[in-house]
Amino acid sequence: MMAPVAITGLGCISALGNSVTENWAALTNGSSAIRPLSGFEETDLKVASAAQVQNFSPEAYFPPARLGLLDRHSRFALVAAREAVENAGLEAAHLVASAAIIGTGCGGKETDEVTYQKLYQAQKSRVHPFTIPRGMPSAASSQVSMELGIQGPCFTLSSACASSNHAVAQAVLMIRSGMVDVAIAGGADAPFTYGLLKSWEALRVLSPDTCRPFSADRKGLVLGEGAGMVILESLDHARRRGAVIHALISGIGMSADASHITDPSPGGAARAMRAALDDAALAPEDVTYINAHGTGTRQNDPSETAAIREVFGDQADKLLVSSTKSLHGHALGAAGAIELIATARALAEGVIPPTANFTSPGKNCDLNYVPNEPLERKCEHALSNSFAFGGLNAVLAVSRFPQ
Amino acid sequence: MKEDIEQTLKESIARQKMLAVEEISLDSSLEELGVTSLDAISLVFDIEDQYGVEVPNEELKKLHTVRDIVEGVDQLLTARA
Repeated sequence: MMAPVAITGLGCISALGNSVTENWAALTNGSSAIRPLSGFEETDLKVASAAQVQNFSPEAYFPPARLGLLDRHSRFALVAAREAVENAGLEAAHLVASAAIIGTGCGGKETDEVTYQKLYQAQKSRVHPFTIPRGMPSAASSQVSMELGIQGPCFTLSSACASSNHAVAQAVLMIRSGMVDVAIAGGADAPFTYGLLKSWEALRVLSPDTCRPFSADRKGLVLGEGAGMVILESLDHARRRGAVIHALISGIGMSADASHITDPSPGGAARAMRAALDDAALAPEDVTYINAHGTGTRQNDPSETAAIREVFGDQADKLLVSSTKSLHGHALGAAGAIELIATARALAEGVIPPTANFTSPGKNCDLNYVPNEPLERKCEHALSNSFAFGGLNAVLAVSRFPQ
Repeated sequence: MKEDIEQTLKESIARQKMLAVEEISLDSSLEELGVTSLDAISLVFDIEDQYGVEVPNEELKKLHTVRDIVEGVDQLLTARA
């Protein structure tokens, strides 16, 4: 068994709220943040529903001069990173030699779109000089490293909807290897731009109303946005400085389907879950809860269910499996981190957030999806699944830390 | 016109560097105002946009004070008139 890595700080901004406390309160109320899409009333978009961050005034977080350099996804990354560092009680000296590994599916597309709109539509001949530093895919990593004074390994990682989990896995590997003692890892995405919404619309996977993972009448996913960041530390380092340990990352598992660019394959998902269990030296019966990828698409939900059955066998019927995307939407590259935080809180509190909007089970969706109501349950171990378009899978095994 | 450019520029710098306009004089050096090269490019971009001129790249490195920018833009406008 590999040495577990401690989660000592949590930071989160999503449609559910602009802090971990607000997110957790909404998760355990089962109150979904999915609303009619706002901000695009004058367009021809057919996208009806969205999980957009509410009551977020960037000016309250950043001085005006700095805002010019911050794409919306970088703003989310910084808000979550600040909260995570503060929550961990880390000081500047702890951060100097640490790592920052940040996932994103879309990166600075908001910035790029404004630029293209100016050039191609408004026929302007010049674009803003900050276009490159603001829009580059690695912008959020750079901004986090500059603000927090992180001088160790820092980079952005992109694997669509699995970006956050791959980022956390990478940070765990760095800590295990002894390369760093402390890392901030997670993801950020801001996909509410006209061009991106048009592109998602074209793929025909968006729900016209709400997100009902694993239900018979599910109609697709609902896009979300935001960021999740966690502070990871070697257990020794966390203990030495007397940090509060929220939970442990006890294992990581990664795989690729190597099959289809959008259709998931149960085999790839199963390999990632099994790899995470093996890495954590856990048996299927040790796991109580799975925070599912659970997008609410026709394809994902039965495929993920089949993968869980393949890995857990007879134990599958005892599992609690919920998709919190029904509450915070699908925040793409930020999804894994937002869900890891939900999983860590669930283990610490002994409360399982539900799958909201659940009606009746879909065909080949026959697990306990914790429908609509949170469940009080002490759990020792959980998995948090992320399976991306293109078949890139990353699963985190998360374990309760005895307080 | 020069006064307009001066006022616009001072306001831009003040906004960017969180200073009071009165703290900025024509002879303030960009360096002492904390204006980095990226800040300067952004300031020049705003002025270019507003006055419809284009400051050539080779002129950029000659800009050391507020006055340099004001006079440079004024010359471009005069040349165009």
